[in-house]
Amino acid sequence: MKKMIALSLLLMAGMMLFARGSKESGKTVVEIWHSNSGPSGTAFDEIVDDFNSTIGEEKGIVIEAIYQGLANDVLTKVKAAASADISSLPDIAQLDATACLDMRNADYLILPESADIEISEIHPAAIEALMSDKGLLGVPFNASSLLFYYNKTLFDSLSLNPPETLDDFAAIAPLLGEKDSTGKVTRYAFAGVPATYELGAFIGAQKGLSYIVDEKNGHMGTPSKVLFEEDGTFRNFLGHWKALYDTGFVNNITSGISTEFAAGRTATMLASSSSLTAVINTVGGRFEVGTAFVPMTDEEATGGVNIGGGAFFLFDSSDAVKTVIEYFVSQDVQMKWAEDTGYLAINTALYDNPEYLAFLDENPAFKVATEQMLQSNPAVTSIWLPSAYQIYYSFQSEIRAVTEDGKDIDEAVHDMATLIQRAIDEYRAQNID
Amino acid sequence: MPAIALALCFSVIPFLKTFVSSFLTISQSGKAIGFAGLDNYKTLFEDKAFISSIGNTLRFTLYFLPLNTVMTFLAAALTRRRRKCTWIMEAIFITPLAFSLSAFALVFKEIFRGEVSIINRILHTSLLWLDRPGSAMAVLVILGLFLDFAIDYILLTAAFRSIDRSVIEAAEIDGAGEVRKLFAIETPMIATMLSITVFMALKDAILISAPVMILTEGGPFRSTETIMYFYYLEAFKSGNRAYESAISSMMVITSAIIMGIIAVLRRKDA
Amino acid sequence: MLKALRILLLGIIGMIILFPMAYTISLSFFQNVDFTDSYAHFFPSAFTFENYVTASANRYFPRYALNSIITSLMAAFFRLIVTTMAAFAFTHLSFKGKKVILIMLLSTLFIPYDAILFQNYSTIARAGLIDTYWGIILPSVFSASSLLFMIGAFSSYDRDVYDAARLDGAGDIRYITGILIHLTAAVSATVFIQTFITSFGSYLWPLLVTNRPRMRTVQVGITMLGFSETGDAGAEFASIVMITAPFIIMLQILRKKIMDSMDIKEGESV
Repeated sequence: MKKMIALSLLLMAGMMLFARGSKESGKTVVEIWHSNSGPSGTAFDEIVDDFNSTIGEEKGIVIEAIYQGLANDVLTKVKAAASADISSLPDIAQLDATACLDMRNADYLILPESADIEISEIHPAAIEALMSDKGLLGVPFNASSLLFYYNKTLFDSLSLNPPETLDDFAAIAPLLGEKDSTGKVTRYAFAGVPATYELGAFIGAQKGLSYIVDEKNGHMGTPSKVLFEEDGTFRNFLGHWKALYDTGFVNNITSGISTEFAAGRTATMLASSSSLTAVINTVGGRFEVGTAFVPMTDEEATGGVNIGGGAFFLFDSSDAVKTVIEYFVSQDVQMKWAEDTGYLAINTALYDNPEYLAFLDENPAFKVATEQMLQSNPAVTSIWLPSAYQIYYSFQSEIRAVTEDGKDIDEAVHDMATLIQRAIDEYRAQNID
Repeated sequence: MPAIALALCFSVIPFLKTFVSSFLTISQSGKAIGFAGLDNYKTLFEDKAFISSIGNTLRFTLYFLPLNTVMTFLAAALTRRRRKCTWIMEAIFITPLAFSLSAFALVFKEIFRGEVSIINRILHTSLLWLDRPGSAMAVLVILGLFLDFAIDYILLTAAFRSIDRSVIEAAEIDGAGEVRKLFAIETPMIATMLSITVFMALKDAILISAPVMILTEGGPFRSTETIMYFYYLEAFKSGNRAYESAISSMMVITSAIIMGIIAVLRRKDA
Repeated sequence: MLKALRILLLGIIGMIILFPMAYTISLSFFQNVDFTDSYAHFFPSAFTFENYVTASANRYFPRYALNSIITSLMAAFFRLIVTTMAAFAFTHLSFKGKKVILIMLLSTLFIPYDAILFQNYSTIARAGLIDTYWGIILPSVFSASSLLFMIGAFSSYDRDVYDAARLDGAGDIRYITGILIHLTAAVSATVFIQTFITSFGSYLWPLLVTNRPRMRTVQVGITMLGFSETGDAGAEFASIVMITAPFIIMLQILRKKIMDSMDIKEGESV
């Protein structure tokens, strides 16, 4: 015990001598808090180093990129820093789409417009994703969307193509699935229960463009009304989805879906396009991974998918920040970023860039994701809602009730609409406009 | 007293602020815009999800508390006297202390993952553990047991071994059997430590949130969403300040009441 | 009969406790395909150290590990001092308002950590302790649960010993360091180890109060490797083993001391 104490004291004394380090001098420092880990972290560091040794060197700007944990942690840190002392905020923070609602209400946020940032080359779908009544909230950087993953080896052996609509899917599901002699399903056609992310596409795409709540899914102000009930879009989706489920080859699980896919126990799944590298990694060559557009709810559901992912939010409007942001969305950086990480490149000039097109041809799985974004209606956006997770769970529970317990579709839709309406009303009461 | 100063700085004062704000209407950006009285509490209790989170927490406590007590008590009682091989068991029983919550959660996810999981292979079942409400709760309880086991084991063993030898010898002379000795003589003597471990387990059960966050995220279908995880979601994910302050105030008051009851009961015993 | 039952019970509990930990080690050698095979593996299909190489790839890792060790040692050390003093005061001294203060301190047990996260951050930020070791450890120095354990341990000792020591002219500090600490070594050591390990395992707080890479701790370093995003589960388990192994060794070394200290005490009290 005594030895332990002595040892700890000695160590501590030694450590106290480590004083704070020196500051970069003479150059403007642009501090970025980011959440890129693993291969994305390496790519991000390289992009930053590249800036510091070229443009930065020239203009006297140094990017200091600080990893601040997962995207969610970065948001927590930004909020904590803002609540303690605005000056402790970084110049730029990379946050994901779930931060939009917080950022719209944050008085310390600097809009890209005020920082005079050039956004004409950025793809409109990525812009719309971050557009609010106050204007564009942040500058898109790591964009992604929902993507349909399938076991290409299996599809090829059955000479099937990925389904274009949910009805197509229901038709081929019995072929994709497999049962053992006892009637137990050994391979499902699909695994997962759609929630907010998936419904953004399944409902948003209907009739070319549909909203879940008013104010353009909450982007243009605090929503006041649920739309999917009177529009009949949710009802329509549930009808098709139930038909798919009734084939007996949909596995209503909410966790471990990608492992089930990698193990070959489900023929398809829906996941973010940013998971592509991880999915291929986990499958480990057991079969070929194919990607396709997310199946449409019906023939008229042509809106495609919404763009999500991450963006840079600014807390400073200096010229240095402008230079840095414009560097990150430039062609070269976006190309390297997309190639190294699998995120969607958002610089429109790249879609004619032969080098980038060559990369897409070599990586068909990436190409599909990019094409899906290009063919989607940019106005299809994610929902910005308070109590987002309550709504998330309500979607999943009601879909399960409809498929497994035979709950009436209209009743389920009504229950969901009521729950969301109440969350909206409560929120409005607390945040009187 | 440094303890008091620290507690004041980092626990009591922040909490009092929260308590006051539970009676106010507070906007997303944190400004108080009016006095709400008990309205925040009223809406909270009208929320079905909150009510079900209370149910989930009670269920967790109901399974966890007895299991934890019996298991740690058994382990400590069986190894309370040193024999030739007790050191092996001691070594095994204290090892969980080295594992952090996140480490255990990750391993448990793997052990109970999907249909083709190692646990199904061992038990010859084909249960989707983490995807069925009942079994997900069971996994959560097991994880809870692992988290508390080692520390409770050490505390109880320490208590057993600090019992005065002469008392036990006296009982032996009286011809008391092993079992009788354990329950009639030794257990009452470690009553203080036993009640502390039970109390801590109760506290851990009522406040459980981090294991839920890492293991099940409240799923499937909100069946493992406990009060504190609900709180975490509302406070951090939804930014619902009204719920945030109302729940935390309520939790502390409830626990103060529980503590009060325990204190009164103990006084009666003595 | 009784002996057989004892061994059987111990065997069962031991197996249950041991399994997840042993399985972690096995998992740390798994290849990617082993995780998703059509039947669950007990052992990896091939034996390589590849996962360990991947897991130790962070260039800052040694520095992170050092930070973690320092902050954890500091937290454990100061918590032990603070809680020992406080527990001593509550069990051996009588002063005005003792009950009230004790209840106030213990009610912090139930204050959810998340509830006061931002306010603690503000306190630390205003004190200018961002990016310092003190910032990382201060909020964890006082812990009501550790205090409770210490009180539990202290209260099982007779006041007679204290009174005798006082008569011999020993001051309070001398009594604590010379006698009490030794009598309750098992519990003190447990509090020390537990604080050390929890502190080592904490993620969000150290992340919040540090900005510079050289102040970061190991847990942050691990998320930085992004194994969960790349689907590299084997490396994730390898990093768990790497972080946990030193603690297991430390525990096993200390185990002998903890358990021995109990025996000596038994001898003395006869």
